[in-house]
Amino acid sequence: MIDFIVYLLTIVGIYGLIALSLNFQYGQTGLVNFGQVAFFMVGAYFSSIATAILGWSVGVGFVLAILAGGVLGALMALPIGDLRQDYWAIATLAAAELIRMIFLNTNLGSEYVGASYGISGIPGPFRDYFSTDAYGYFYLALVIVCVAAAYVLVTWLDRSPYGRLLKGIRESDEVARALGKDVRNARIWSLVIGGAIAAAGGSLYAHFVGFIDPRFFMPLETFLIWAMVIMGGPGNNLGALAGTLVIEVIYNSTRFIHVPSEYSATVAALRMVLIGVLIILVILYLPRGLVPERRRRYPRPERLLTPSTGDRHAA
Amino acid sequence: MFQVIIDSLIRASELALIAVGLTMVYDVLRFASFVHVQFGTVGAFIALSISLVVPLPIGWAILVGVVVACLVTGYLGVLSDRLVFARLRSSPAAILMIASFGLGMVMQYGVQAIWGAGARSFPLPLTRPWVFWGGRISPSGAAVLIAAVLAMLAFHLLLTRTKLGIAMRATADNPPLAEASGIYTERIIRIVWFIGAALGALGGIMLGLVAQIQSGMGFEIMVAVFAAAIVGGIGNVYGAVLGAVIVALAENVGLAINWAPLLQLTGLTAASDLYIPVGYKTGIAFVILILILLVRPRGLLGRRS
Repeated sequence: MIDFIVYLLTIVGIYGLIALSLNFQYGQTGLVNFGQVAFFMVGAYFSSIATAILGWSVGVGFVLAILAGGVLGALMALPIGDLRQDYWAIATLAAAELIRMIFLNTNLGSEYVGASYGISGIPGPFRDYFSTDAYGYFYLALVIVCVAAAYVLVTWLDRSPYGRLLKGIRESDEVARALGKDVRNARIWSLVIGGAIAAAGGSLYAHFVGFIDPRFFMPLETFLIWAMVIMGGPGNNLGALAGTLVIEVIYNSTRFIHVPSEYSATVAALRMVLIGVLIILVILYLPRGLVPERRRRYPRPERLLTPSTGDRHAA
Repeated sequence: MFQVIIDSLIRASELALIAVGLTMVYDVLRFASFVHVQFGTVGAFIALSISLVVPLPIGWAILVGVVVACLVTGYLGVLSDRLVFARLRSSPAAILMIASFGLGMVMQYGVQAIWGAGARSFPLPLTRPWVFWGGRISPSGAAVLIAAVLAMLAFHLLLTRTKLGIAMRATADNPPLAEASGIYTERIIRIVWFIGAALGALGGIMLGLVAQIQSGMGFEIMVAVFAAAIVGGIGNVYGAVLGAVIVALAENVGLAINWAPLLQLTGLTAASDLYIPVGYKTGIAFVILILILLVRPRGLLGRRS
């Protein structure tokens, strides 16, 4: 049981990173990224290729994964930087599918590596220093450190002038443009930062499970991550983590329910139906999520609101 | 070459039927509906189940299945509007897209829970394809083409020759003005959902007739359908048909062309045979999508920016 809780918390932490990333893009900037799984996938693959195939150290793989996620964010955002949210949603979804297609059709190194065979034998960091039991705790601690770092980063960005610009773009990009802000650039950077954070999650995931294959990165994953952010409350980083916990508990709940094996596929499908229904219910009845975003209130600028036509003539 | 054209037209029929419904909903409600391709999945499974139990020769049984599936899926479209989208009329497009994505997942996995994850197909007898001008077309392929053309023609007449069609176009152009002219726009929106979902179901069934039916089939063609709608100009019904033809042709021609001479000219490769691997077929639709977004985001026939 305790093993399972450690496993669940590790997975919650890894997905928490990816949810924080999506929350940064959607909750903060208002970008509808339906290809979030692409960052997760690219992070996992770059880290795995660097370590399991090229034999480099896990640290190098981790850094490479983060860089790859950031570059992918820029590549995805560049063609659509100025376009409306409908186009973002469609283009990012398509990009994620294309990237999965590339990994699915490309052999890496030798004949039975990469493509649909996946990559196996991905090493864990500092694996030799721990027993099997202790390693679970160590990895959980490692994940918690990464989540904390990402949390501090997005919270810091949230409070920075750049964060305020992103929120302005979310509410109305025309207002931001009218104030002379480079909206396109801000959006691209939002995807670069978001992509890097999610790719870190992907790297941690690959080194945790030790084996990856393109089937792990279906569009379903994007949907689960959206469920986490919507459930938790878009715009609130704590909410993203809370949503991750709720969705992962539902997703893993079938482990506790004993069903005859002939029904297990049906129950697995129904679990996804339940998550889908929950998302719609949250959108309809709890649009701000479990942990609503805290809106900062500024003092009313009274001076600007008073009629000032006479003053202007005087000046 | 003629074979490529036949294959493209069949593919275009499937894509166009779904893309037309998608673009109609966009035209009236101004959001990209990610649930739409799932109407194809639901329709295909309903038609399959009906055609298996109707005690008629298989051709007639499928026809009964098609009619029932289109009606049921049409009402499913109306129901999804009533239950979800009607309550979000004043929400931003992003929320509507996320809700439609969630609803799409409910449908896809609902279908998987009911009918299982395995691939199914209509119990069609094996028939010799008809051959002309060096191209082969199976009877079911011909049926797909005829059904798609008839559906499009009927839909064109509905839009241009009936009061309902005029009301639909008016609602899409300017909802407050339509309302002021005495059009009950909520009713029109419901009809748009019905027709859109029914056309989507028809598209899914057509896809199932020439290939296989499985719970993920709707999602698999989502990129191609969106590419068709956007290439033609999202919100433009005729554009969606044009876009579907372009995407289908590009997919099939792209796979049939030997790209080696072209790349030899640029000096990139010396290989004499260079075809796009079949695994990248969906990638072609994606490339078209990105190109059109870069060059002309409102599409070939798009009116508004």
